Amino acid sequence: MRVVERLNGTRIVAMPAAINTATWPKGALAFRLAPDEVLVTTTVAASVVDDAHAIVERETGFSAAWVDNAEAMDFLERECDWELPRERPAFAQGMVAGLPLKLWFEQDRVLMVVASPYAADLAERLR
Amino acid sequence: MMAEFGGQMAADSLLTHLLRDPNVPIGGGCLCLAGDCPHCLATVDGVSYVRTCQVAFREGAAVIPHAANGQLPPLESRGERPRVSARTTHCDIVVIGQGPAGRAAAAEARATGAHVVTLDARDGQEVIGIYPGPLVVARAEDGMRHVYPRGEIVVATGASEIQPAVSGNQLRGLVTARAAAELAAAGVPLGRVVAVGTPPDGIVCERASGTLLRFEPSSDPARVGAVVMRDADGAETRWSCETVSLGLGLTPRDALLRMARGMNVRGVGDVLVPAHVPPCPVDGTVCPCAGVTVADLASVHARGFHELELVKRATLAGTGPCQGATCVPHIRAFLAAQGAALQPPFTARPVTRQLTIGEVAAGAHPAATPRTTLHEEHLGLGATMERLGGWWRPWHYGNVEAEYAAVRHGVSICDVSTLGKMQVSGPGALALLEHLYPVPIATLAPGRARYVFMLDERGYVIDDGMVARESETRFTLTFTSGGATFAEMWVRDWAESLDADVRLMNQTFSLGAINVTGPQAATLLARAGVPAPPAFLRHGQADVAGVPCRIYRLSFTGEVSFELHHAAADSVKLWRALLLLGQDLGIRPHGLEALLKLRLEKGHLIVGQDTDFDSSLRRLGCEWGVRLDKPAFIGRQAVLRTNRLPLDRQLCGFEMAVGFQAPAEGATIWDGEDLAGVVTSTTWSPTLGKSIMLGWLRLKDGQLPTEVTINGRSARRVATPFYDPEGRRARG
Repeated sequence: MRVVERLNGTRIVAMPAAINTATWPKGALAFRLAPDEVLVTTTVAASVVDDAHAIVERETGFSAAWVDNAEAMDFLERECDWELPRERPAFAQGMVAGLPLKLWFEQDRVLMVVASPYAADLAERLR
Repeated sequence: MMAEFGGQMAADSLLTHLLRDPNVPIGGGCLCLAGDCPHCLATVDGVSYVRTCQVAFREGAAVIPHAANGQLPPLESRGERPRVSARTTHCDIVVIGQGPAGRAAAAEARATGAHVVTLDARDGQEVIGIYPGPLVVARAEDGMRHVYPRGEIVVATGASEIQPAVSGNQLRGLVTARAAAELAAAGVPLGRVVAVGTPPDGIVCERASGTLLRFEPSSDPARVGAVVMRDADGAETRWSCETVSLGLGLTPRDALLRMARGMNVRGVGDVLVPAHVPPCPVDGTVCPCAGVTVADLASVHARGFHELELVKRATLAGTGPCQGATCVPHIRAFLAAQGAALQPPFTARPVTRQLTIGEVAAGAHPAATPRTTLHEEHLGLGATMERLGGWWRPWHYGNVEAEYAAVRHGVSICDVSTLGKMQVSGPGALALLEHLYPVPIATLAPGRARYVFMLDERGYVIDDGMVARESETRFTLTFTSGGATFAEMWVRDWAESLDADVRLMNQTFSLGAINVTGPQAATLLARAGVPAPPAFLRHGQADVAGVPCRIYRLSFTGEVSFELHHAAADSVKLWRALLLLGQDLGIRPHGLEALLKLRLEKGHLIVGQDTDFDSSLRRLGCEWGVRLDKPAFIGRQAVLRTNRLPLDRQLCGFEMAVGFQAPAEGATIWDGEDLAGVVTSTTWSPTLGKSIMLGWLRLKDGQLPTEVTINGRSARRVATPFYDPEGRRARG
């Protein structure tokens, strides 16, 4: 069974404009979950967003697995009803295999992110 | 009859292969070889309703032909079958049918650069329905295909040949003209062929002229031996034969077109041909799927069923495997002959073909139940896990009494990570929460927490939880495990409606929560590095056994309790540390079964279990949970209005005399001969030594009865909490 590992990052809820203008640590991925919400795959200081009322929290509630492109596309063709982005890199989110997934597409691999309480289900369904 | 068939021609359909052997009892009724009629249906390798003309011959296939006239095939259990997969494709245009018209349509679309998907039953991709979306679903040998076209759906499914509706039409040896040509080309011996109507291509046959009257059996009563025609003068002519080829006209194979009305769909080719209307049937079976005869049609017509849709419902004609492809032309002709206008075919809906349960479920998964980070820890401790409040949770760890005792007399921990948790921050946070909750929030100082109900606009309880103030503009809310999703939507919806300047972060999945509870709870926390934990209904930040936690001092069990909220990744570390540090205190975790017992002793209600859809705080006996001097909050007007009405029922506590077992939840409560209510929560209290309950009780003459009967045993209404009514133990 594929290992789906816990992400150790930061989640931020702030005014959309503050997120738009924020810069993230080099090498980190930042997934825009909503106009006012971003998940960054590393530790981020609260000061990174220009919003005094922003909620910036350590986030360990998501788990993820990198899957090579061919395997990911085969899985998604079977398990995803909605149309995937064609450009790379790209971020998309929605129900996949009956689970709320977030997908980060790179040229030759896909990061599948799921809320950790569903990590075991994702590992099972990725088989 | 079941038979194993050896190989012959790899390109054969299963039906063609079977027809090579005249002793195989398949093919009663006019065969079309196009998947339109029900006459070649069989159970193949345990799967019923297989159109044997549409599947390739397979060596060793076990085939049981279905009986005619609406008899259901035998259900056969072949054990667990492999999961059927579903593959999804998004395209510009989908073309259904790859005859000449379909091929031309696909080529035309491709020439524009469109991404075209073609589906054709002859290529093993049989479309079984078009759904809003639009979504075209096809069945293929390797699973289901879900095709989402961004643009047009082109239906090029052609036309089917009209079946004969005369006496004897269930005999073997009847084929449509196209089928006759196909069988002859495949080398299937047809014997002496008589053609009725348009003759088949490429076959030497006699042509029977006149009007088709009936088919007569041969010496084999199941096989055709002659066809009888009537000429213009009324004279009957009998044509001896071994096979009858029937070219009775075409009717559009347009079920998919009709099913997709209102969508971006277009028909091309023969699917648009005007439907040929056959002569009014006078005898024989009209609908072979449901076994409906001309006499049945006459009967329902005489009873007033004159509309095609009503005749369908009255006779079930058209509801069988072929979905009306065989019978509709004849029923239309029949009704027109009775004096009505020619009626359009009846509504078409997915699916057009019989599917296996596996095919219906293709691509679907059972709903996933979330697991807390401590799931494996619970299993390791021997927990029995149950789905509760939408989560996998430990019901018990093998010894409920010991778990209960640890809470009441020592120290225990419980995984409460499932609680809904949300942060609210911003200049508009306080105003939003004042609107959401029926008690003042402004009076809550930073560092303090309050138990709160959440009401809807009708003043009914929809959830409960805690509001904790972190700072002037930041709060943490908790919700019930089962109600967290709704509560989050509720808060977000109101924040949007009020245009509140707030930031909302749902942390239900992000944070673990462990409740440390019992008289020794503070001792355990001191060992874990927190010598001065928060006082009752206060909270604070501290490292517990090296894990950063927000500690909330609440109590659901009735004992001193500290709820430790922490990053989910740290749950295992914290859990193990607490168990280790509390070893000599007799610590043990408790599951939900013990927790429910503990909370019931305290009279704490559970929203969704003890509450109903119309539970006001007054009915719950929790009027302390609302402050009507507060000028505005959701439900205030309703509370004011309903407070003026006489109270009709109330959630009450009950106890039974020592020795009586607790009744089941849902047990009815009787006031003498009158049904007076229902038990919502029940347990046997180890501390009190008797059964205690919560339940709804109707007032009689404005009074709540004191003595009632539950399950035939006397019970007494008592005040709650049952245990430590002053709350001294929880406050420490």
